Amino acid sequence: MAGQALPATPLRDLAGEYTRALGERFECAAAAVGERRHDLELAGLRLRLIFAGPALEEVLLAPFAHLAAPAPAAAELTIRIFDGASTGVEAPPPTWPPLEAAPGANPTARLRSDAACVLAAAGTGALTAARPERGEGLFFLPDATRIAPIERATPLREVLQLLMAARGRWFTHAGAVGRQGRGVLLVGRGGSGKSTLALSCALAGLEIAADDYVLLEGGAAPRAHALQSTAKLTADSAERLGLDPAAIDPAGFEPALEGPAKALVDIETLAPGRLRRSLRIAAIVAPHVPSVRSTLGAHSATKVERGSPGAAKLAVRSISAAEGLRAVAPSTLIQAGLRSAAWLAALGDLARAVPSFALDLSPDPAANAAAVEGLVAELG
Amino acid sequence: MSEQRLRINTESVVHETVDGELIAIDLSGGSYYSLAGSGPAIWSLLLGGATESEICAALARTHEGEPEAIRSAVSDLLGQLLESELVVPADGAGATGSPAPAAAAEKAAFEPPKLERYTDMKDYFLLDPIHEVDTAGWPKPAA
Repeated sequence: MAGQALPATPLRDLAGEYTRALGERFECAAAAVGERRHDLELAGLRLRLIFAGPALEEVLLAPFAHLAAPAPAAAELTIRIFDGASTGVEAPPPTWPPLEAAPGANPTARLRSDAACVLAAAGTGALTAARPERGEGLFFLPDATRIAPIERATPLREVLQLLMAARGRWFTHAGAVGRQGRGVLLVGRGGSGKSTLALSCALAGLEIAADDYVLLEGGAAPRAHALQSTAKLTADSAERLGLDPAAIDPAGFEPALEGPAKALVDIETLAPGRLRRSLRIAAIVAPHVPSVRSTLGAHSATKVERGSPGAAKLAVRSISAAEGLRAVAPSTLIQAGLRSAAWLAALGDLARAVPSFALDLSPDPAANAAAVEGLVAELG
Repeated sequence: MSEQRLRINTESVVHETVDGELIAIDLSGGSYYSLAGSGPAIWSLLLGGATESEICAALARTHEGEPEAIRSAVSDLLGQLLESELVVPADGAGATGSPAPAAAAEKAAFEPPKLERYTDMKDYFLLDPIHEVDTAGWPKPAA
């Protein structure tokens, strides 16, 4: 007899069970220290952050202040946030084997089911749990006073990735700058010059949605939505941008895998009035330091002199859609830890929808900003 | 003896073709690859469940080129793909995907496949590996 189905063996939903247990702990924490609610509009969606007590509120909320919105009748997404030390409520014990984290490393245990996902980061101690289809997420840290730099630099990144991906918004390792709501996506691995270029553009008067991470929404008119209002800079980049490195928040310094430590700067303080919630994306731009080996293929050795009149035109060259995809996808999927075929397909759609360019960076930030501005103007 | 059938290592590899170039990312090792020339067509035939000889036959139907040159290029590429674990031996036999392409009215010139490997993201990957957990604990050691 063909086609007879075998009886289904019920599988334990470890992710769902742990998410439920973590949610119950949040309720205990909120009962102990009180709830604090904040509503945001993020990537066109209403997001409610509910903190148990004030300990994590200030540090995690500040970078989203520019996205504050009136409380809606019903939020589409909700993230509940608490820490163990200030609330006296710990997360449930792990149901997975312990992970060893070498200094500076952050290996993650991931439990997944159809309905839920749990991520436990051994280096930072952060726990993320979500039921993406329901729009529900949880975030836990053992101690809010010992928050890791990466949690300050890109707060709630994993829970936002999970919730947003279920709604077609793809967490993407890229900056976005432009004019009059239309701009370009700045892509490339860490250290490629994205942040410095994005901030050069903001200081030159362009609009900016982000320097390092955006939520990408695809379709015929792709958009890059802003996440946090902070940017990361090395002391050297700060100096080249004419900023006083001493004025940069020293608590934000994050040891980098390659190169010097980076500090957090507030974009609104740095370039008042330039921060945007969203920009329509007309092109992919991969900044490239000419002296550094690149995956962008051979190109003519164009030397851009500081302040030369032709700098804006000389610095930008067209690259293939595949090169554009190669500049954005690996750093998003590998460096940002977003490891799924759907993510790559979304980035592939973007590379097909808009042209890609490489920008050979000049030592002069103003010349680089002028090159981007010229390209944005040319793209209309 | 039947020919070994290969399949794309979909447990670890995600891929996307844009502009005639295939980008494959190895999510268990942190390298990524560019596959150009006739490479994307060969990859597509692998996705369809074709064996090495079926791939060669399909390319000969749709491309101008010496059969021996096609056979040699396909064999070299499959060796590279196996070595990099972008493909793995398939269990069982029989095609599972799309049928082999019909003969083209006008054949295109055969361009040898070109596979390039990039490892510039590997350090980031190794620093923050993700360990998948199932009901038995770790299904496999961390990459």
